[in-house]
Amino acid sequence: MNFYAPFCLPFILGAAAMFLTLLWKWGRWLYLLPHADKLRILRGLPTRATLDAVGEVISESLLHRRIFRINPLLGYMHMSLAFGWFLLIAVGWIETIAYLGFRYVPLQGHVFFKYFATNLPHKPAFELTMDLLLLFVLSGVALAWGKRLRSRAMGMRRTTKHVPGDRIALTALWFIFPARLIAESTTCALYGGGSFLTGSLGGWMAAHLGTMTLVGLETAAWWFYSSCLGIFFVALPFSRYMHIFTEIPLIFLRRYKLRSGEKESSFDRFQTEACSRCGICIDPCQLQSVLDIRDVQSVYFLRDRRYGSLRLQTADNCLMCGRCAERCPVDIDLNTLRLNARDTMRNVPDEKRYDYLKGLDRSSGSGKTGYFAGCMTLLTPRTMQAMARIFDAAGEEVWWADRDGGVCCGRPLKLAGETDSAHRMMRCNTELFRKHGIATLVTSCPICLKVFREDYALEGIEVLHHSEYILRLMRAGRLAPNRGTARFTYHDPCELGRGSGIYDEPRAVIEAIGELLEPAHTREDALCCGSSVANVAIDDGQQLRIARSVTAELERSGAEVIVTACPLCKKALGRGTRREVRDLAEIVSEALP
Amino acid sequence: MKKRIVVIGGGPAGMQTALRLKARGMEPLIVEKEAETGGKLRGWHVLFPTFTPAGEVLAELRHRVREAGIETMTSAEVVSFTQHEVALADGRRLTADAVVLATGFTLFDARIKEEYGYGIYDNVVTSADIERMLDEGRVAKADGSRPKRIAFLHCVGSRDEKVCQQHCSRVCCITGVKQAIEMKRLFPEADVFNFYMDIRMFGPGYEELYREAQQRYNIHFVRGRISEASPTIDGGIQIKAEDTLTGRPLRMSVDLLVLLVGMRANDDNAALAAAAGLERAPSGFMAPRDPFLGNVRSNVGGIFYAGTVSAPKNIGETLNEAAAAADAAVDYLNA
Repeated sequence: MNFYAPFCLPFILGAAAMFLTLLWKWGRWLYLLPHADKLRILRGLPTRATLDAVGEVISESLLHRRIFRINPLLGYMHMSLAFGWFLLIAVGWIETIAYLGFRYVPLQGHVFFKYFATNLPHKPAFELTMDLLLLFVLSGVALAWGKRLRSRAMGMRRTTKHVPGDRIALTALWFIFPARLIAESTTCALYGGGSFLTGSLGGWMAAHLGTMTLVGLETAAWWFYSSCLGIFFVALPFSRYMHIFTEIPLIFLRRYKLRSGEKESSFDRFQTEACSRCGICIDPCQLQSVLDIRDVQSVYFLRDRRYGSLRLQTADNCLMCGRCAERCPVDIDLNTLRLNARDTMRNVPDEKRYDYLKGLDRSSGSGKTGYFAGCMTLLTPRTMQAMARIFDAAGEEVWWADRDGGVCCGRPLKLAGETDSAHRMMRCNTELFRKHGIATLVTSCPICLKVFREDYALEGIEVLHHSEYILRLMRAGRLAPNRGTARFTYHDPCELGRGSGIYDEPRAVIEAIGELLEPAHTREDALCCGSSVANVAIDDGQQLRIARSVTAELERSGAEVIVTACPLCKKALGRGTRREVRDLAEIVSEALP
Repeated sequence: MKKRIVVIGGGPAGMQTALRLKARGMEPLIVEKEAETGGKLRGWHVLFPTFTPAGEVLAELRHRVREAGIETMTSAEVVSFTQHEVALADGRRLTADAVVLATGFTLFDARIKEEYGYGIYDNVVTSADIERMLDEGRVAKADGSRPKRIAFLHCVGSRDEKVCQQHCSRVCCITGVKQAIEMKRLFPEADVFNFYMDIRMFGPGYEELYREAQQRYNIHFVRGRISEASPTIDGGIQIKAEDTLTGRPLRMSVDLLVLLVGMRANDDNAALAAAAGLERAPSGFMAPRDPFLGNVRSNVGGIFYAGTVSAPKNIGETLNEAAAAADAAVDYLNA
C-alpha cells in the first residue's frame, strides 16, 4: 500500500518544521540549564518523581482537572480538545495496526488513514469509535466558538486579547476538525464505510451530489484538512499552542525540583512557554476588575517576556497578590517570574548608598525572643504598643530589634527588583540577629516574615508571625484574653495567606476574643488591600479605589471591626472605610484582663 | 409676605448670611445642629494675624443676630434638603423659598496619621488642642511641667495623598506661626520648631507675622515633613524628619509635638449633595457653579453656599462670602 498523495505535503512539511523547532527549543533550554539543575534531573529520573510526573501529565495536560475545578464547562472544552485529539491519534494508531498488523506506516499514513484504507474491509467497531471521538473533539470546538461569543457562560468575564500569530493558529485549529469531518465524509460517500457521523454525512453526500463533484470535493477537502494541520503545526512553536508540548517537560522538571529563582534562568523558558494564554488569570486581577487596567496581567506579562517585548511598566504593574497564581491551571510560578524579570531590568546596585548599614545597631532590651517591628509597624505604633503589652502579660523577655529604628528587612527592594541591595540589608539584619543570640524571631509584618523565612539564612532561629506567636502563647496558657461580644471580620494579607500559608492562626486568635464573620472572598481567594509594596506603578488614588472595593466587601460581612494582621493592609484599609480597622495584636491586647 | 430662606449651619458663615438676608428684607431661619451657634469659632482662642480674641468676634456676631431678631433653631440636624424643603433628623420638615448651605468643615482626625502617635502617646497634641489649652489658660506637658522644646508639624491631613486629602487647607500655615509665637510668649526659654513643606502666607499681615516669628521670636523653620514619632523614656517624643534644605536626616527629642490638622469636607456632604442634586469637588467639598461669577451659587437654582462648606477659608473670607451668598439668594428670589 502506498501512503502518499500530493495533499499530504502541507502536513508533512508542517509536522517536520514543528518537530525540528521543538527539538531545537527544548534542546537549547535544557543545555542552558544551570549545572545544579541538570544534576537534579539526572538524580530525579530513576525515582518515583518520574511516575508522579506521568500521572500529572495525564491529569493536567490531557484531562485538565485544574480547569474543571474553576468551571466544569471550561474544563470540558479544554479536555475534549486535548484528550479527544490525543485519543483520535492513539486509537487511529491502533486502528492501522488492527488493519495492517505491525508494519511501518509513515506518519501521514496514520493521520490520513481513512483516505488510504478505502480498499480494505470495514471494521465497524473502529469506525464507530473514531466517529465518537471526532464528535467529542467537535463538541469542544463548538464550545470554543461559543466562548468567543459568550465567555461568561464558561465562568470567564474577560478573555485574552490575542496577538495576530495566535489568531492564525487559533483559526487553523478551529478548522482542523470540521475539515476532517468533511474530508472523511467525502471518502465515505465515494467508497462507503464510516459510522453515524462520517458514514451518515457521506451517505447524504452520495445521494445529493454527482460522482465527479464528489471526486473533486474529496481532493479539495483532504487538501484543506492537510493545510489546516500544516499551518497549525508551523505556527504552534511560535504561538500560544507551544504550551501543548511544553507543559509536559515542565511537569517533569518541576517534579525533579527545578524552580525559578531571583535571577532569570533557562528553566524560566519552560514556564513562560507553558502558558496557554487561557486568560483565567485575568478575572481575579483587581487591577483589571477595579481599575480597568487590561494589559499587565500575567498572561500578557508572560507573552511579552516570551517574545522579548517586555517593558518595565508592565513588569512593575502588579500587586503580586498571587490571586492569579492561585488559579493558574498550569501552576506557573507567576510571582517569581515577575520578580526575576524586574531583577533583570532594575538590579543596578548603588555600591555606596547603603554603606551606613555597617555596624548599625539601635536594638534594645535582651532576651531569647526577638521582635522585629519592620518599617510599616513603626508607622502603626498602636500595633507595637499592643505587642509590648502582650510580651509583658506573657512575661516574655524581649530583645527589640528596631524599636528605635532599624534596617529594612529587604523585601521591598527585592520586590522592586533591586536584588543585590536587598541582600545587603538581609546580611546586615542576619548579623544583628546572630549577634544578639536570639532563638525566636517574632514579627508583626508579613512582608518581613516572608523574606525572613525564604531568603534569610536563619538556621537555629525560629521565625514566627505574631499571629502564630500569640496563638502559641494562648495555647500554652501564658496569655488569656477575655472573650467578648464584638463581631470581627478578618482580611487575609496576601503575604501572610497566599504568601506564607498562614490562614488558621489569626482566625483562631480572633475566635478566642469574639465572633468572626468571613467576607465573600476569603483565605486563598482573599482580595488584596491594593497598597502592596510590590506595585510601584499605580498611584495613590488607584490604591484607594482598590482599598474601597475591599472594605466595602468587608463591611458587608456585618462586622463592626475589621481585623487584619499586616501593618500595610491596616493603613490601606483604614483609608478606605470609616469603620474601625485594627491589627490582630491590638484586639488581643485590649482583651487582656 | 416675606420670603423664607433656611440657612443650614449656625457658624460665622451662617450667622453672617442670616444677618445680611434680614437686612435685605428676607425672613432667614438658622438651623444649627449643636446646642448653640458659633461653630468651630467656639473652640478657638485668638485669631491670626492680629491675635484678636475669637470670643469677641463670636459675641458680636451673636449679639447682632439677637438684635436683628433672627429665628434660630439649635440642636436641629438636617438630614436632607432641596431648594424648597429641609428635613430634620427628628422628622420635622421646614418649607423654604431658598436654602443657603453653611455647614462648614470637619477637622482632620490626627489619629489616622498613626505614625505621629496622636491618641497613643502623651504630649502629642493638635492645633485645636492648643487653642483649647490656651483658652483654659493651662498649656503644659501631660505631667504638668513646662515644655522646653516644642515642634509644630504642618500639613497633617492636608496635601497628603496617603490620607486622601490632596487639597491645601490654607489656614494651618499661619495658625502654626501664630501658635508658635504664643508658645514663645508663654515659654520664652523654649525652643520652638516648625516643620513644613511650604509656608503659604496668603493673607494680609501673614508674611509680616512669619518674619516676626523668625526675627523677633527666634522660631526655627525646618523644611521637611516629620516621618514618624516615638516616645522617649522620659515622656518626651522623638521625631524623625529630613531637613530637605540641607538634605540630611534629622532626629530630635521634643517635649510637645503639635500637629497642625487640616480642614476636610464633612462626611455628610455626600448624602446632602445626593438628595439635593448638588455637585461636589473631588476633595469632597461642595463645588460652586463656577469659581468666578458663580462662586456662591450651586449647580441647583435656589441653593447657595457660604463659607468653608465649599473650600477651606479663613474667618474674614468666610464673612465676606456669607454676605455675597445672601445677596445672590435675594437676587434669585427677586428675579
